Amino acid sequence: MRTYALYLVRRFAQFILVVFIGINIAYLITHLTPVDPVEQAISSVTMFGQSSPEMVEVMRKTLRELYGLEGSAWEQYVSFWRRMATGDFGPSLSAFPTPVSTLIWQALPWTLGLLVSSTLIAWIVGNFLGGLAGYYRKNSLLKALGILAMSLQPIPYYIVAFILLVVFGFLWPVLPISGGAEMNIDRQGFAFAASIVKHSILPALSLVLVGLGAWFIGMRSLVSNIVTEDYVTYAELGGVDRRRILFSYVMRNALSPQLTGLALSLGAIFNGAIITEFVFGYPGMGTLLVRAVNAGDYSLVLGITSVSIIAVASAILVIDIIYPLLDPRVARS
Amino acid sequence: MRIMQVLAFFASAWLVAQSALAQGISNLPREETIIIENPQGTITNPPWFNIWMVARGGNSTGLQQLGMDTLWYIDPDAGIDGVWDNSLAADKPQYNADFTEMTVKLRDGIFWSDGVEFTADDVVFTVQTQMKNPSMIWGPVFLASVDTVTAPDKRTVVFKLKRPNSRFHATFTVRWNAAWIMPKHVFEKVEDPTKFDFNPPVTIGPYKLHSFDPNGKWYIWEKREDWQRTSLARHGEPGPKYAAYIDPGPPDKRVILQLNHQLDIIHDTSPEGVFTLVKQSPTSQGWFKGFPYAHPDPTLPAVLFNHQVKPFDNPDVRWALALLIDIKAVSMASYRGAATISAIGVPPTGLYGKYYFDPMEDWLKNFEIDTGKSKYKPYDPTVGQQIAEMLRPSMGEQIPTDPKEIAKAIGRGWWKPNPEAATQLLERAGFTKQGDQWLKPDGTPFSITLLVEGDQRPVMTRAGTMIVQQWRQFGIAAKTQAYPSDFFPRVESGDFETAIGWSVETWGGHPDLSFFLDSWHSEFLKPRGERQPPRNRQRWTHPELDKIIEEIRTIDFDDPKVQELGQEYIKLAVREMPIIPLMSYNVFTMMDTTYWTGYPSADDPYTNPVPNWANTKYMFVRLKAAKAQ
Repeated sequence: MRTYALYLVRRFAQFILVVFIGINIAYLITHLTPVDPVEQAISSVTMFGQSSPEMVEVMRKTLRELYGLEGSAWEQYVSFWRRMATGDFGPSLSAFPTPVSTLIWQALPWTLGLLVSSTLIAWIVGNFLGGLAGYYRKNSLLKALGILAMSLQPIPYYIVAFILLVVFGFLWPVLPISGGAEMNIDRQGFAFAASIVKHSILPALSLVLVGLGAWFIGMRSLVSNIVTEDYVTYAELGGVDRRRILFSYVMRNALSPQLTGLALSLGAIFNGAIITEFVFGYPGMGTLLVRAVNAGDYSLVLGITSVSIIAVASAILVIDIIYPLLDPRVARS
Repeated sequence: MRIMQVLAFFASAWLVAQSALAQGISNLPREETIIIENPQGTITNPPWFNIWMVARGGNSTGLQQLGMDTLWYIDPDAGIDGVWDNSLAADKPQYNADFTEMTVKLRDGIFWSDGVEFTADDVVFTVQTQMKNPSMIWGPVFLASVDTVTAPDKRTVVFKLKRPNSRFHATFTVRWNAAWIMPKHVFEKVEDPTKFDFNPPVTIGPYKLHSFDPNGKWYIWEKREDWQRTSLARHGEPGPKYAAYIDPGPPDKRVILQLNHQLDIIHDTSPEGVFTLVKQSPTSQGWFKGFPYAHPDPTLPAVLFNHQVKPFDNPDVRWALALLIDIKAVSMASYRGAATISAIGVPPTGLYGKYYFDPMEDWLKNFEIDTGKSKYKPYDPTVGQQIAEMLRPSMGEQIPTDPKEIAKAIGRGWWKPNPEAATQLLERAGFTKQGDQWLKPDGTPFSITLLVEGDQRPVMTRAGTMIVQQWRQFGIAAKTQAYPSDFFPRVESGDFETAIGWSVETWGGHPDLSFFLDSWHSEFLKPRGERQPPRNRQRWTHPELDKIIEEIRTIDFDDPKVQELGQEYIKLAVREMPIIPLMSYNVFTMMDTTYWTGYPSADDPYTNPVPNWANTKYMFVRLKAAKAQ
């Protein structure tokens, strides 16, 4: 037990270090970008409207003061970590003075709802079917599924998304192709929930179709290896029920690497699904991130990136912590 | 198995039943609602309606089109009742003799959406509040120009200016937007107007906010019950009861939504998207009945040279590069032929045919370049006609046959490609040719980097790629470089050699060119590395140009001499070729007549249909519900 506690402490220290280094790299990259939020803001004003030269000079100076961009690079860095220590990402520069955290909290539920559900569906269905295909290798239906999964796997995501868009949005227009819910709907009650589900069908389906193949193929090859192990052959010769062999002896053992993959996928969803959100006009972190990058809003970019770094690192930490509890072989090693 | 069949049946039935509602608006009658694309897309800060602050929330969400108002509007096309409209003002601006004072008379009977009367105090408050808070959009302009602003009575505002300024009224005159009037009774109660979100907005336009998406995807506006108490009422009652401004997503989706009659006005899409709509949707219409369908905005995409980088400071080099461009190929590559070309330094849009293109045609035909070895007349007046003939085999009847229509839709003449004259001009500039490669006077290869916006503006990027190809064929090591996010800041800081962009934007309906030209005066020129204020992005200065600008400053906005001086600028720009004008900025706005009719068009150009322009408020009074007819 003492060994496990030491392992936990060491692992937690690693987590802190990874988060610190990750956020620092993100800080450095966002501050090295040539896109200047003040210039982007001025461009948005002068692009169409009045642009007297005197006006631009005054505007530049006042915006720098307002956004807190005055001061040396070191002062800004220290001020950033001081804020981060209290969980404050500061104000967004493209939506000033709205706090970055408000914008993230507005977008996060949509991203979590869509990506957690589609990732879990793809993981469960892909692993289940992949496990069956690896065990019942002569079954024609499962073989056909394998071919289908392998055919879908290399198709670029945006092609799959676009095909769904054309089929269900134009040729047979039965599903909405834009937004997270119907416009002007009362945002309380069953109708709103039903509308969210309806609007998420196409984006979720596109993610499941593309994500499912990888889990299917991975699980099938893992199971194909495990079924040749002696203990499986012994169990079969011993007359153990085949379903029990499949689920308790084979798939359970094959599940460990897939669980790690799932944790990483779930951690990574905090970045949002940029192409999905763009193609289906779905609200979420991806759209927010792209808009922040284009506006040179490095407060917002840093906020989103930091959340993502913490989420991925936490997912790996959790997996590392529970692994020894799930798999006795890891605990022994 | 049977259970599965029953479930499948109900699922199919549900999907079919939902098909008509796949993209609907809940709780609003579709036949009373117009759905319009908001080109700003998803708004990052949806509840922010304080339009007087820089880059905080959305403005073309319907807010500036339907909720705001100001003193005057100039239409980029013919206008609903002439080009000039006194909106909140009762009359045109009245200046004193030396343009140091401007008096404005205001309309009677205009009310804010909360029932408070609009008065001169609102105008005074708008100016004074922004002067006190220079981080507000028009604060710096007012600080630079206004000495005092007073309201001697409820309907009169007097501006005393810090120095003579015959164009001060332009700050309150809508082209795309202008200084909007603030409701004093709302903002005076606010401690810090720069941090006030103005949610829900109190409007002075004919609509009020109905609802909006907390995620910034849509905004719905509802016609005010007292719409008669707004300035637009002089032109009639707005047709739609509701207007939804939405983010429909990428261009292909906009086309799909309009094919399904779920998006009445597409702000802009790809040329290919328009061709699809023309073929598949009999209810969709563009600005032109036939080719090129698009609305030519009063903006002039061009090859911008950085005059602070050698050898682009040399007019011989600039002219040589212009004579290597085949505009027909550029038109095909960029807009698939659906461009409206321009050889001169103003866009071929609005009433500019009448003001500038027609009067200057003979001068252009006779214009000569002297290369030192020979003289050439570079202007080919038949280029527009040639593009029309190129398109006719594939586009058939959609291509106009009347030369006047061709001139309006596709353009007039352009510079005839002339590699021989280009060679002579480059040689005169000290360039030499070694094998297939041109060398600069210092013996190094003549290379050009052309900045483009990449995916951010694909049409212009394709134009740039074609131009670079043509320069390469002549032996110049040219290449494009794409900067989708920071194109304009990079150009404005002078960090470029050449770029595809624009520095010419005009009123469209009015011949005065000071909207862009005033900022081209040498007094505003910055050294390379420092940011050049818009719009002299090419950093070109010329003593003759300064004289023209200074003379424009001393005459009235409506003085007939404005047009004469405009023509002087154009002649100078042809001789010097500071930028290579290409075409107007064509916007592929497509309008669906399933639910609404009466949209503006080239045949009835009463306003600009491009829906993010504030002038589109005039469209609302001409829109009629299709089912009611």
